[in-house]
Amino acid sequence: MLNYLIRRVVFGFGTLLVITFAVYALIRHMPGTPLTLDLAEMSLDQQISSSEMKRLERQYHLDRPWYVGYWLWAGKLFHGDLGRSIKEKKPVSRVIGERVPRTLLLSGTSLILSYLLSLPLGLYSTARSGRLDERVVSTFLYMLYAVPTFVAGLLLLVFFYKDLAGTPFQLEPGMFSRNYSQLSTLGQVLDVAKHMILPVVCFTYGSLAYYSRFIKSNMEEVVRQDYIRTAKAKGVGPLRVLLHHAFRNTLIPYVTMIGLTLPALIGGSVVLEYIFNWPGMGTLYLQALSQRDYPVIMGLTLMFSALTLLGQLLADLLYAVVDPRISYQ
Amino acid sequence: MVHLKPTGCISLAFLLLSVLFGCSSAREETDRAGEESTEGPFVLGDLVKPFDPPTLEELEKKVKENGGWVDQPVLDSLELLRKRQAKEPILTTVDEALKLHNDSEEDNAKILSALGRLPNDHSEVDFNAQITRATPQALNNQNPLLASTMTEFEVSGLTSFGLFGFDWKFMPFASVDSVVSWQTSKGGYYDKVIMRDDLLWSDGTPITAHDIEFSFKVIMSSQVPIRAQRTGTDEIKYVKAYDDQTVVYFHNNPLVTNVWNVNFSIIPKHVYEQSISEDPTLNDSDYHVQLEETPVTGGSFEVVNRDQVEVVLRRRESAYMFKGKQVRDKPFFETVRLRIIPEASVRLLSLEAGDIDEMNLEPQQWSDQTNGDDFYRRCTKARGLEWTSFSFQWNGNTPYFKDPRVRQAMTYAFDHAEMLGIHRKGLDQACTGTFHPTSRWYPGNNNAIGVKIEPTKQDLEKAGKLLEEAGWIDSDGDGYRDKEIDGRRRKFEFTIIVRNARERIDLCELLAQNLRLVGVACNVKPLESATLQDKMFNKQFVAAYGGWGTGADPDTSDNIWGSGQQRNYVSYSSPVVDEFFEEGRKLEKDRKLWKELKAWKDPEVREYLGLDEELAESQPTREDCYAAIHAILWRDQPYTWLFYRNAYHGFNKRLRGYNFSPRGVTGYGPGFGSFWMPAEQ
Repeated sequence: MLNYLIRRVVFGFGTLLVITFAVYALIRHMPGTPLTLDLAEMSLDQQISSSEMKRLERQYHLDRPWYVGYWLWAGKLFHGDLGRSIKEKKPVSRVIGERVPRTLLLSGTSLILSYLLSLPLGLYSTARSGRLDERVVSTFLYMLYAVPTFVAGLLLLVFFYKDLAGTPFQLEPGMFSRNYSQLSTLGQVLDVAKHMILPVVCFTYGSLAYYSRFIKSNMEEVVRQDYIRTAKAKGVGPLRVLLHHAFRNTLIPYVTMIGLTLPALIGGSVVLEYIFNWPGMGTLYLQALSQRDYPVIMGLTLMFSALTLLGQLLADLLYAVVDPRISYQ
Repeated sequence: MVHLKPTGCISLAFLLLSVLFGCSSAREETDRAGEESTEGPFVLGDLVKPFDPPTLEELEKKVKENGGWVDQPVLDSLELLRKRQAKEPILTTVDEALKLHNDSEEDNAKILSALGRLPNDHSEVDFNAQITRATPQALNNQNPLLASTMTEFEVSGLTSFGLFGFDWKFMPFASVDSVVSWQTSKGGYYDKVIMRDDLLWSDGTPITAHDIEFSFKVIMSSQVPIRAQRTGTDEIKYVKAYDDQTVVYFHNNPLVTNVWNVNFSIIPKHVYEQSISEDPTLNDSDYHVQLEETPVTGGSFEVVNRDQVEVVLRRRESAYMFKGKQVRDKPFFETVRLRIIPEASVRLLSLEAGDIDEMNLEPQQWSDQTNGDDFYRRCTKARGLEWTSFSFQWNGNTPYFKDPRVRQAMTYAFDHAEMLGIHRKGLDQACTGTFHPTSRWYPGNNNAIGVKIEPTKQDLEKAGKLLEEAGWIDSDGDGYRDKEIDGRRRKFEFTIIVRNARERIDLCELLAQNLRLVGVACNVKPLESATLQDKMFNKQFVAAYGGWGTGADPDTSDNIWGSGQQRNYVSYSSPVVDEFFEEGRKLEKDRKLWKELKAWKDPEVREYLGLDEELAESQPTREDCYAAIHAILWRDQPYTWLFYRNAYHGFNKRLRGYNFSPRGVTGYGPGFGSFWMPAEQ
C-alpha cells in the first residue's frame, strides 16, 4: 500500500509540473496582457505612455520569454510563494484564501444536502420502481435536471428578490444584508444563511436529480444479482435486502464520485456566483482569465490540478475500503 | 523516475495549506523588493528635468514685466448648477414627475426638470441619508495615484482631494472648496494657486501646497507604478510650493491645455515622504499594506469598509468643518455604498427591489425591461445626451482600406436607417464624426469651417461606384469584387472583430449583409474584451467595431487621430490634422496665421473646408482648428461613424438632483455631488 501511495504521489507531482507548464505556456500565448484591459478602461484623458508600459511589463516579467516567466514562477513556488495578484495587488494565496471559504459554504452545503436527500430518494425510487409515484418522482427529477441553473437562478431572483421585495420572505443576492455589521453574531450567521438559500437551491437541485438517478440505476442492476435472489429466498425482509445487501454494493461507484467531487467543491460555479453576486472561486477564475492576471490563474490551476489528483487518489483508496476484493499490495 | 527532495514535498504541502488558509509566505517581501532593486535606488521626481525655480519675488517681478497675472475662475460647481436651474422653467411638479412613465422626449424633460433640481434650502434634505450605487468590480486599491479601474476612479472621486474641476460644458475652474485664488501669467508659462488654510487630511494634518509639490514629484518618479496619472502631468516643468498655501505650476510651453495638466491627484506628503523610498510601489511594504486598509484621505468621504461584496464610504466631518465651524457645503449623504454587482440583469433587479438607488441602463433594458408598473413602483428613469459614439473602424494599413474611397464606400453601403430604427430602437442619434454636433468643435457651430455635414444614407450605387474607382471589380464573375495587389488578384473579403456582445455582433452582421450587396465578403469575429483590445492595440485587424467616450478637452482626440499616437489603431495619418491639433493647443496669440497652415496651402483642402479668403491674415480660433479636424476626418472616413449612444439611467424615486452631461450623470462637476434625498415630511 505504501509503495502504491509513494508511486501515486511521485506521479502526481510530475503531472502537476506538466499541467502548470502547459497552462503557463497557454496563458502567455493568449492575446493580451494584464495591462491590456487597463488601457481599455481609461478615458480619453488618460493613457499609459510607452515608456511606462515598458516599465510595467518589466515589473511583471512580461518582457521575458514565457519559459523564463514559468521558471521564475516555479522558483517562487518552490519556496511556497504563489506570487502576487497583478489586479488585486495582494498575495495570490490571500486572494484565493479569501474566496475558498465562501465557495465552500455554498458547495459544501449543497453537497451535503445532495447526498442526504439523494440517498433516500434513490432507495425509494428503487423500492417503488415502475409504480406511478416513482414515475412521477422520476419525471420531476428529469425535469429538474433539464432546467439550466442560470435560468432557474434568474427566475428565483425575480420572484424572491423583486416580487417579494418589502415582505419578510424577500431573499436578496449577495452574501449579506446592508445592516450586516450592526447585527449580533447569531444575526450575522442567520443573515448569511438566508442569503445562501437561493444559490444553494440552484447548486443542489441538479446534482440531487443526478445522484438519486445514479443510485437508482445502480441499485436496479444489483437487485437482479443472484445473491439478492438468494437472500430473498432465505426469507430476508425487503427492507433489509435493499439496505443491507443491495445498497452496500452500490456504494462503490458512489464513493468514487465523492472523491471526484473534490475539485468541483472548491471550484464553485461561475454562472451561479455571478447571478447571485457571490464572490467565490468561480468568479475569481473568470475574472483572472479575462484580466490576464497570470499569478492568480497559475495559483488556481495549481490548486485545482492538485485537488483533482488528490480526489482521484482518495477515490482509489476508498475503493479499497468499501470493496474487499480490491487491494493495492 | 522522478526523484523529489523532501523539501520540495514540504514546500508543495505548505503551498496547498497556504492557499487553503490564506497565509502569505515570508519570501514574498524579499522577492518583490528584489524585483524593484534592479532599478537602482529610488529618486523622488527623477523624471523631472533639472530646474531651479526662482524665488516668489523673482517670479512676481518676471510675470509683472510680461503682462502680469490673469485671474482664472474659482467656482462652486453646485452654485453654478443652481444658477443654471434658476433660469430653467419648471415643467412639472415632483409628484407629477414621479407618476410619469418616461415614454417621450417631453416626459423625459419633465422628469429631469422636476427631479433633477437642487434643494431650495437645506431643510428639504435628509442629511442622514444613505445612497447605494452599483459597480461591476471590487475595489482593489485606494491610492488615487494608482487607480486604473472604473471602481477605483469612482471611489477616488469621492475620497480624494483636488484643486480643480470642470462643469457640464467642460469649463475648467478651481474649486472654491479648496482654492482662494487661481491666476495664470499672461504669457501662459505659470499658474499660481493660493490654497485655503482650512483644509485637513482625514488624520487632522493640514493639507498644504507642499502636498501638491510632493504629489507631482511622486507622479514623476520612474519607480512608482503610475498607470493613468502621468498623462498631462508630464507636460509640467515643475511644481513649487512657496509656502503652505502658495503653489506655482511652471509649464514647459504656454498651452491652452495646461489647465488640464495641473489637475492631478494629491496624496499626503507627511504619510508617504519616508516610506516611498523603501517601497516605491506604494503597495508592497507592510506600512503601505496597512495604509491601503486605512488610508489618509482628503475628499468628502472616506472608506470605512470594503470587501468583495461592497465598499462603504462615510461622510468625513473634517472635510467641511474646521475648528468647530462649518466652512464648506456639507455633502448631502452620510453614507455612500457601492454594491459590487457584475451582472447587468441583477443590477436591474436590485434597482427594482429598492436595494440600489441608481444605475446605468443598457439600451435594451431602457426599451424593453423598464416600461411596466413593476419598474415604476419604486423607480423612474431618464436619459440625456452623451458624447459617446460607435463606429466601424477601418485599418488604413491594410490593402483593403488604404484608399479613402473604399472607406467611403463602406459608409454608403451600410444601412444606417435599419441600424437606428431597428437595432437602436429609434433611441439614438446618427453619428456624424468625431465631435458631437452640440459641441463647439463641430463645423458650422460658430466657427470658420463651412463644411455641411449630413448623416449618411445607404446608397449602394454610390458605394459600388466608389469601389470601382478604387479598382475593386468583379473580374471573374463570382459575385465578389477583386483587385490585383502586388501582382496577385485578391478577393475583397475581410474579417471585422467585435466584442462578444449580442447588440454589437448584430450590427456587424448587418454590415456583412449590406456589403454582400456590393460584392464584398465580410466575416464577423466576436472576441472577448482583452483579446479584442490586444488585437486593436497591436493593429492586428482589418476592421473593428468599437466606440469612444469624450475627453474633457478636444485635444485628447489627438490620441486617436494624431499620426503614430497610442490609440490611433487604424493608423490614420494626416499632416493637416496633426498641424491643427498642434495649433489647437496653443494660446491664440501663438497660433499661426491661416495662410501659414498646410490646410490653407492645399487648395483642395481649403475649398473643401469652405474657408473664406478674408481669413488669410487672421489666426484660427480653437474652435476652427477642431472643426477643421472634424471635417477632414469626415471626408477621409477612417471610421464609418454610426450613432451616439445616449446615457440611459434608472433612479430610485427617493433620489433627486440628477443631471446629465456629455460624460453621463457623474463625470463632471458637481455630478454626484448634486444628488440628494428629501427629508421625510
